Amino acid sequence: MFQLPISRRHALKRSAAGFGSLALASLLSETTSASNGIDPLAVRPPHHVARAKRIIFLFMSGGPSQVDTFDPKPLLDRHDGKPLPFDKPRVQFNSTGNLLKSPWRFRQHGDSGLWVSELFPHLAQRVDDLCMIHSMHGTNAAHGGAVMKVHTGSDNFIRPSIGSWVSYGLGTENGNLPAFVTICPTLAFGGINNWSSAFLPADYQGTAIGDASVPSERAKVRYIRNSRLSREVQQLQLERLSQLNREHQSRTGPEASLEARINSFELAFRMQSELPKVEDLSGESKATQHLYGLDDPVTANFGRMCLMARRFAESGVRFIQVTHNDNKVQWDQHADLKNGHEKNAREVDLPIAGLLADLKARGMLDDTLIWWGGEFGRTPTAEGGNNGRDHNPDGFTMWLAGGGVKGGLRYGSSDDYGYFAAENKVHIHDLHATMLHLLGLDHERLTHRHAGRDFRLTDVEGNVVHELFA
Amino acid sequence: MIGALLCILLAADEPVRVVPPTAEQLRFFETNVRPVLVEHCQKCHGSKKQWAGLRLDSREELLRGGDSGAAIVPGEPNKSLLIRAVRHEDENLKMPKDDKLSDRQIADLVRWVEMGAPFPKVQKSNTRNRDPNHWAFQPPKEQRVPAVKNVAWPQSALDNFVLAKLEAAGVSPAEKADKRTLIRRVTFDLTGLPPMPVEIDAFLADDRADAFAHLVDRLLASPAYGERWGRHWLDVARYADSNGLDENIAHGNAWRYRDHVVAAFNSDQPFDRFIVEQLAGDLLPAESEAQRHTQLIATGFLSIGPKVLAEVDPSKMQMDIVDEQLDSIGRVFLGLTLGCARCHDHKFDPIETADYYGLAGILKSTRTMDTYTKVAKWHENELPSATLTAMRTEYEAQLAAKKKAVEDFVAQADKQVREKLGAEKPPEKVETLYPDATKAELTKLREALATLEKNPPNYPAAMGVAEDKVIDLAIHVRGNPLKLGEVVPRRTPPVLRGPQPPSLAANESGRRQLAEWLTDPQHPLTSRVLVNRVWRWHFGRGLVRTTENFGLLGEAPSHPELLDWLARRFVADGWSLKSLHRLILNSSVYQQSSSASAEVVARDPDNRLFGRVNVRRLEAEEVRDSLLAVSGQLDGTFGGTLLKVKNRDYLFDHTSIDKTDYTSRRRSLYLPVIRNNVFDLFQLLDFPDPAVPNGDRAMTTVAPQALMMLNSDFVMQSADELAARLLAEPGDDDHRLSRMHVLAYGREVSAEERQKHLAFLVKVEQSVTVTEPDADKRRRQAWSVLCHVILAANEFVYVR
Repeated sequence: MFQLPISRRHALKRSAAGFGSLALASLLSETTSASNGIDPLAVRPPHHVARAKRIIFLFMSGGPSQVDTFDPKPLLDRHDGKPLPFDKPRVQFNSTGNLLKSPWRFRQHGDSGLWVSELFPHLAQRVDDLCMIHSMHGTNAAHGGAVMKVHTGSDNFIRPSIGSWVSYGLGTENGNLPAFVTICPTLAFGGINNWSSAFLPADYQGTAIGDASVPSERAKVRYIRNSRLSREVQQLQLERLSQLNREHQSRTGPEASLEARINSFELAFRMQSELPKVEDLSGESKATQHLYGLDDPVTANFGRMCLMARRFAESGVRFIQVTHNDNKVQWDQHADLKNGHEKNAREVDLPIAGLLADLKARGMLDDTLIWWGGEFGRTPTAEGGNNGRDHNPDGFTMWLAGGGVKGGLRYGSSDDYGYFAAENKVHIHDLHATMLHLLGLDHERLTHRHAGRDFRLTDVEGNVVHELFA
Repeated sequence: MIGALLCILLAADEPVRVVPPTAEQLRFFETNVRPVLVEHCQKCHGSKKQWAGLRLDSREELLRGGDSGAAIVPGEPNKSLLIRAVRHEDENLKMPKDDKLSDRQIADLVRWVEMGAPFPKVQKSNTRNRDPNHWAFQPPKEQRVPAVKNVAWPQSALDNFVLAKLEAAGVSPAEKADKRTLIRRVTFDLTGLPPMPVEIDAFLADDRADAFAHLVDRLLASPAYGERWGRHWLDVARYADSNGLDENIAHGNAWRYRDHVVAAFNSDQPFDRFIVEQLAGDLLPAESEAQRHTQLIATGFLSIGPKVLAEVDPSKMQMDIVDEQLDSIGRVFLGLTLGCARCHDHKFDPIETADYYGLAGILKSTRTMDTYTKVAKWHENELPSATLTAMRTEYEAQLAAKKKAVEDFVAQADKQVREKLGAEKPPEKVETLYPDATKAELTKLREALATLEKNPPNYPAAMGVAEDKVIDLAIHVRGNPLKLGEVVPRRTPPVLRGPQPPSLAANESGRRQLAEWLTDPQHPLTSRVLVNRVWRWHFGRGLVRTTENFGLLGEAPSHPELLDWLARRFVADGWSLKSLHRLILNSSVYQQSSSASAEVVARDPDNRLFGRVNVRRLEAEEVRDSLLAVSGQLDGTFGGTLLKVKNRDYLFDHTSIDKTDYTSRRRSLYLPVIRNNVFDLFQLLDFPDPAVPNGDRAMTTVAPQALMMLNSDFVMQSADELAARLLAEPGDDDHRLSRMHVLAYGREVSAEERQKHLAFLVKVEQSVTVTEPDADKRRRQAWSVLCHVILAANEFVYVR
């Protein structure tokens, strides 16, 4: 059983934020004496020198197609409508027919000459910052399993999310904010388990800001506002509450859990003033808002999430996830690939390019790792007569940027048609291990004992792909 | 003896080699062979990883080989798989895969095998692991009640066990708790609700020597007992009203299992019988329809686990479901992590892959699913009754009527067409000649029929299992259903001593025999695991702290003798939980104060000796139920379902739209438990993940809990209701404050507190003057704000 006899003293000390009219200093000196002073979210040194301090995960829910975005396949064009010249995987999600060429043209961009299709004109301008992994592969062909695999490393057990592992490993630089936030996540396909801490202590739980059913404009952390009491009344209330709690504690004697709860109310009150400030984008300049596409209804929703992500990154949040999802399974084009992918790409292309530019201009791209991708890719073969593509966990593209990876790199490859990862294959476990490594964490040492054994994000797998590092 | 056995095995494996290796051979090995093995092989086939079950770091391991057989045949390089692999001779066996060894390295390996594969002897490490003599695998032993110095303290033999250890450590137990503390503690403990003021008064007025025992009896007899303790079992049984995992669809009939558990706890059903019904209720004779239903419902235990329902590989899905069941049986009844042995022998416990597949065969021979194609359907047992028969008759009659309506209509329309055609030969499909209006009407009739066919009535049914084709399973090598090893007859793990291993007939799955084996009085684990959990739920910590792991990696019991004594006593008392509660609650250990001297705390900071009672925060359900109870809102309706979504419909799909509803004012037990999206008040307050058996809830304190207490509408509404309740009381504010404290904390308000509360009310009224002109409303607001403070305070959510 995990116990949490926690003092927030360290968290409080780190924070510059005041505590209103409450006599915080005296309160602290009275209440922390009995505690053993372990703050579960205190900053912890990494295992080795870190190249990145935080991660922003841009999750493209539904599974974008690699052969239509970043991994051009001339043979696919040439053999359009012909059968795939080798066996399809033993298990497939749906059955697919013959090869389907990409409806988009590809061009090389930047000094690096990386290929980008015309779906991403803005991102194409920034290819020299991108580190393409064309040889990704996973294990699960259904959304549920694959989404959980990407987030937790497991597709059939409930395990801590990668964001929880990162917070557990490194703590957080801002005690007034959660260490791990996820903006507008989908509630399907594992739901909260994709940002839950599972058997890790609840301190490492991700905090959801809205969900995929609400526009990002209305996305808020639950209970962060009081719907009826003025700040003045709430302060009176907190004052009376801490009096009562202190009197109670003087009767019961020293007890770490009681004291931890007293501290948690103080932290909550500070979070309540801090979080909305980060979420509030109104102070951002017109130019910045334009950079993220907030002034265009097509890009505004996702742009707002990306801008919020930058603000969380600036405020010291360790792991920030942004999910591109609408009330369908966004990138899941079993049919009508052309219109679906075009709509999706239009919504994210400019905001992501804006995020990269903004981070770079602020000098933050160096220690912020951006991770882009879906839960799987799509088949180069057509599904039914649909002009669509099926799920494909056997070969797809993800990209990283910033945070110590080589920009303009093309790593690994898929086969000639883009069905299977072929050279220098990178499994989801390998990518997890690699990203932890960039944060200074050894994935084999980042363990937690639960139910009689040590668990880790990468289970018993995972190889760090050193070739990606700058 | 083990040494002798090892020799025989080695001799059988290797008739050739008896001469120990020469120094020269060893030197060759160390310089030319070991580096190659270390650098190119052992990363995947060494102490850390054993891919394909293969280790290449000792001669024994090389000879034993992996999934494909021995890695080397000493003296015969061409017959050695290792050599074939490094030569890349065989398309399916190329090692190392990407970088073939150099010709020189291969030649060295060949020469080494020709020599007879000399390898220096290694020390066998970690003999403790996989120890078959581990305490938990032997039946509980009879225990002598230990003598103690302080003979006045013990109220029962149980106390002797605890006190003897305290005395040995030189620690005195805490004072006895006062009566107000005791009634609050035991009422929450047994019912999950705060004591009502009249109940407190009655207990304080009861000056019988055994007043506490009477109180315990009253609480055990209350239906709220089953609602609280049944919920403990539901934690262990991973109960949920939705599947969770990938396809989060409704377990529309799971509530029947929940209600069955509550009823079984309330009636104190002997727990051995309870367990047998969980695993094999469908196979037991029943004397009445009601009993038959109960037994079918009880098997829901095997079915309510989470399943990957969109798994595209049906054979994997099937084995994943068996695995989930087996792992749950392991954790819930045996306190063992059997799941590990699906792919390899358990690393720490003496549970072998063959043991796993011996048990898995029993579950594979059990029908849990009706289909395995995405989205797969779990099996449900209909609950036969007159009502069901009537429903079915009625439905079939409706169906027949609708079918007949279509047929009659077609016949009539055909007739009209034919009459029109006269002598002309009608086409094959007469329908094509119908007038448009007739066509439209026919479509309507057909649609009505199709709708009815698609929507059969919700026949009373329960999630549960039935017998399936009986089969013995082959070992799935590395857990891979495509790679099968030897077939293992269905059986129980032989390392668990005590009960006779059951013999299983060829025409039954063996679930009943498995359940009877588990509940054999001699079983080493079942009763121990259970009494340990009951101890955990009363005291906050188990005698074995790892409640679901009694294996070699589990924690050793703090009081092994007491654990055995309790386990045997429990079995001797007919597996009666209520007797066990009485035994524990009427002890001096349970009735201690939570305060201890600084010296005692220093000596036993973790309270491993139980020389005081642990302060505990209320669990999620207790917090919500107390808020409702104290504010007078609690709806005490018993049983039934609050799920608003139809059986097998999505609770959450890609739209992320929340279809749950937690507005009910009934006890928390009855709120739907939705995997992947547990009710947020529960999530925040450490409700366990309903996908995994858990007998030891975590207790964390984090800021989001405080945000919820400060800002949630539910807490503020409860404060409003409590304020309204108090303001409706006759009498003055002094009386109201006193009432408030008794309701919320079970004690009187002190003079100082009263004064401060009054001052606080004035301050709040003042500060809301600006926004609220109505004095009466201001007063209500101020009282609500005060009640909010009272409900958010530590004293409300902690029990001592």
